Amino acid sequence: MRRGTLALLVAWIAALAVLGVVVQRNLHVGSDLRSFMPPAQTPDQKLLMEQIGEGPGSRLLLLALSGKPATDLATASRAMADALRGDERFTQVANGAFESGLLDDALLPYRFLLTPSFDGAPLDRDVLADELAQRLEDLGSPAATLLKPLLPRDPTLEIMKLAEHWSPPKPPLVREGVWFSPDGEALLLVQTRAAGFDPDAQGAAIEALQAYGRDLPAMAGAELVISGPGYFGVVVSRTTKGEAQWLGHLSTIGFVILLLVAYRSIAVLGLAALPIVSGGLAGIAAIALAFDAVHGITLAFGFTLLGVAQEYPIRVLSHRRAGESALESVRALWPLLLTAIASACIAYLAFFASGVEGLQQLAVFTIVGLLVAGWSTRHLLPRVLPERFRDAADTPGLERAWRFLDGLPRPRWLPPLLLALSAVMLATASTPFWQNNLAALTPVPADLLQREGRLRAALGAPDVRYLLVVQAADADGVLALSERITPDVEALVERGAIDGAELPSRYLPSLATQRERQAALPAREALSAMLGEALEGVPFRAGLFEPFLEDVERARTLELLTPERFASSPLGARLQAMLVPHDGQWIGLGTLIGVHDAAAFDAIAQKNGGAVRLLDLKGASESLVAAYRERILHAFGIAVVLLVATVLVAFRDVRRAWHVLAPMTLATILVLAVLRACGVSMSLFHLVALTLAAGLGLHYALFFERIAPDAAEARRTLHATLVCVVSALLVFALLAWSSLPVLRAIGLTVSLGVGFHFCLSILMARETRAGAVGPLDGKGHDARQG
Amino acid sequence: MLLPCLAAAADPDPQALVAGLARPVPARTAYTEVRFAQMLDRPLVVRGELEYLGPGKLGKRVDTPYKEQTTIADGQVSVQRGTRKPREIGLGQVPELEGFLRGFSALLGGDAAVLAQDFTLTTRGTAQRWHLSLVPKDARLKRRVASIEVDGDDAGARCFGIVDADGDANILLVEALASAELPKPLTRRNLEITCAGTAAK
Repeated sequence: MRRGTLALLVAWIAALAVLGVVVQRNLHVGSDLRSFMPPAQTPDQKLLMEQIGEGPGSRLLLLALSGKPATDLATASRAMADALRGDERFTQVANGAFESGLLDDALLPYRFLLTPSFDGAPLDRDVLADELAQRLEDLGSPAATLLKPLLPRDPTLEIMKLAEHWSPPKPPLVREGVWFSPDGEALLLVQTRAAGFDPDAQGAAIEALQAYGRDLPAMAGAELVISGPGYFGVVVSRTTKGEAQWLGHLSTIGFVILLLVAYRSIAVLGLAALPIVSGGLAGIAAIALAFDAVHGITLAFGFTLLGVAQEYPIRVLSHRRAGESALESVRALWPLLLTAIASACIAYLAFFASGVEGLQQLAVFTIVGLLVAGWSTRHLLPRVLPERFRDAADTPGLERAWRFLDGLPRPRWLPPLLLALSAVMLATASTPFWQNNLAALTPVPADLLQREGRLRAALGAPDVRYLLVVQAADADGVLALSERITPDVEALVERGAIDGAELPSRYLPSLATQRERQAALPAREALSAMLGEALEGVPFRAGLFEPFLEDVERARTLELLTPERFASSPLGARLQAMLVPHDGQWIGLGTLIGVHDAAAFDAIAQKNGGAVRLLDLKGASESLVAAYRERILHAFGIAVVLLVATVLVAFRDVRRAWHVLAPMTLATILVLAVLRACGVSMSLFHLVALTLAAGLGLHYALFFERIAPDAAEARRTLHATLVCVVSALLVFALLAWSSLPVLRAIGLTVSLGVGFHFCLSILMARETRAGAVGPLDGKGHDARQG
Repeated sequence: MLLPCLAAAADPDPQALVAGLARPVPARTAYTEVRFAQMLDRPLVVRGELEYLGPGKLGKRVDTPYKEQTTIADGQVSVQRGTRKPREIGLGQVPELEGFLRGFSALLGGDAAVLAQDFTLTTRGTAQRWHLSLVPKDARLKRRVASIEVDGDDAGARCFGIVDADGDANILLVEALASAELPKPLTRRNLEITCAGTAAK
């Protein structure tokens, strides 16, 4: 090896190493799924995007304990609840057991402002006399031992009434003092402090849960099952990472074997990897610098899409011929390669225009990666390749393969027939054309979702589809409005339109209501006199209720309870998740349970002039996807125009451009038709995959269309294309086996595409049989968007 | 024929005592209940009827000084006072209470085996004038109920006393004693003497 070559090689590898260190220092892999969702347009869609990540529903984790007798599970449930209540990472823990610490000592006097008990009948002698008589009777009831400690401070048992008021609208089954599912699992409901799609914090919370499940003595022998959106986020992130790695390893091994077979040289194998490694590292560096965090899916997709760049060194390697330096071979190929690179980059620009951060990252990664890979293939790779090589044209069997392909009949009627067949397949497909359900792309295993549904039903946990949105200028306005509509919502429960509802004012009344209740409380002397009268004939000890008198007196002068002040308590934290600032206003989120008649809310919405409305998260997300698809289709339309323009400019010949574009278009339509005939509904990811396949198809067509100066060169083209096709299939056929629907969609679509593009390029792209190409008219271009 | 002599010499067998309490279902008895509580400056006297309807099924009616019907069945306690809506308490919410009621029901049903699961049984006296003391085994129940005390004679139970962990006590005088005159002054000591009859002195 010459010294100059060696120096260049060392410098190249050193530069890659430096880039690698930079990337490792700056790369932050995130998994916020929202970055892979389209940008929100309408207020509902904006709210949806916020709620998906930060709303009360997304912070909820459902726990189920099983594997032991009910008594032991109840003990385990209590131990878990105690441990979690002392843990900063959780804001709410409920397991059905009566929480005496519902309001701490400092907040306890507030019970007189929180309770609706005295709204109808003020706290007076008659009410007190009635309550005290009941307490006397309680002393003889089975519950006496429970109530006795509460009586001196709370003779009206307000705290019990509030606990009942705040218990879940549709309480789960209670056994042994805690919640149980009908299947005999002890159930807990946990709210994390971290937002649902803050993957690191959710991961930490889930690890903490699992650690408690493992280490608490009471949990020995019990099985802990976790469910909930945050848990799914963590599972998806783990699966994505694991699967991307696994698939990556497999395709690498296949690729190494392929290159060894194709070029019979270990040195070439290492050198051929350099351009794609350069492209990959440069791509990651670009997103690491341009964005805060790289989505895990971006990396998985990105490396997949970058597989296209492996074609560049392969073309160079396959097209080398005796008596010509590698640099000269590259120069001869470059116009064609440049066309391929430019058109691929233009196609990926459409991703950038999508406005979705995840896809923009993907575009930046891929475009930078392709450009760097292309540039290094053109300028660096030829200078470091060994001078000795085997001419790919002499590969055994290649001659025969070429003859066979060259001799294939190319009937004029084939393209129109395929087009007609596609039209029939597209027209007769029975499934909906578009897949609007975002969840279908979120790879949460079906059994986990099913378990989630079962636990949710057992816990009476709120509906994940509907939220009641209450909007006002400030937080107190929301609470006031929430109070106003409570009777209407309760009427809906009565009517059976919904099973239950939880509005923000359930936990905290508005300031006005609190003020009213405060004003209605009797002064100390008056209350003391009333109590004296009420105690006549009731044998309670004198002075027993002194703490009660003190609490009422304190409640009369308390500063009113605001959401901020309330936030220190578990209930306040629950309320905080239901009250969110939004667009300069405040929004209250009422959760609903078992919505049977969504239209029943129309009347409430009308009555309040739109300040109250039912948010259909599923509807909002579907409209979001549909709106988004329109945008991306526009972007693709522009990409197609740009692509055609690029090819025309490159060839300056309409007929040659047609030979390249026609097979590509027909193959794309065919892929679409076959997928539809198999019942696949199109999603954003299928569109992306179709585009990618079209990009690969463009390579095949470009090189087959080129008029080879001799038979050996034609064989080299076939050799290069075959290596490219097999390497693409290696990557994408593997993806088609992925357990992640998103990867599967891409893998299957691209694999089909590679097959069709290759066959049609062979049959249609070559000028030598120009007459056989067939009168495929402009229809193809229109249909590809269909 | 030696056995009765031996039995008279030692404390009575708890198993036999409890078995002797069994009555054909439904069993009813009038009762007078006296509540001694630190919160009250004088004991509260309540009268009514106690009902045993089979394992886990109890009824307690209060006639004076107020009207109340408590029904315990299938793990639910329902308390109805006067004309108010009945109040339901799921026993599952308060598992220790369930143990207590299970014990009380087993006592009335004469089921010594069930009773021995949840309580430690000790006896004193003779088969004619006996005292049975039940101390809960469950730590959580122990924090609430210190013991159940039963006095009886050869005809059956005379008094049931429930002593709370804080020292408060409810003493129910049943069967013949239910209609007997209460001692004066009405103190816990005096009432215990009434329950024990002459033999316990």
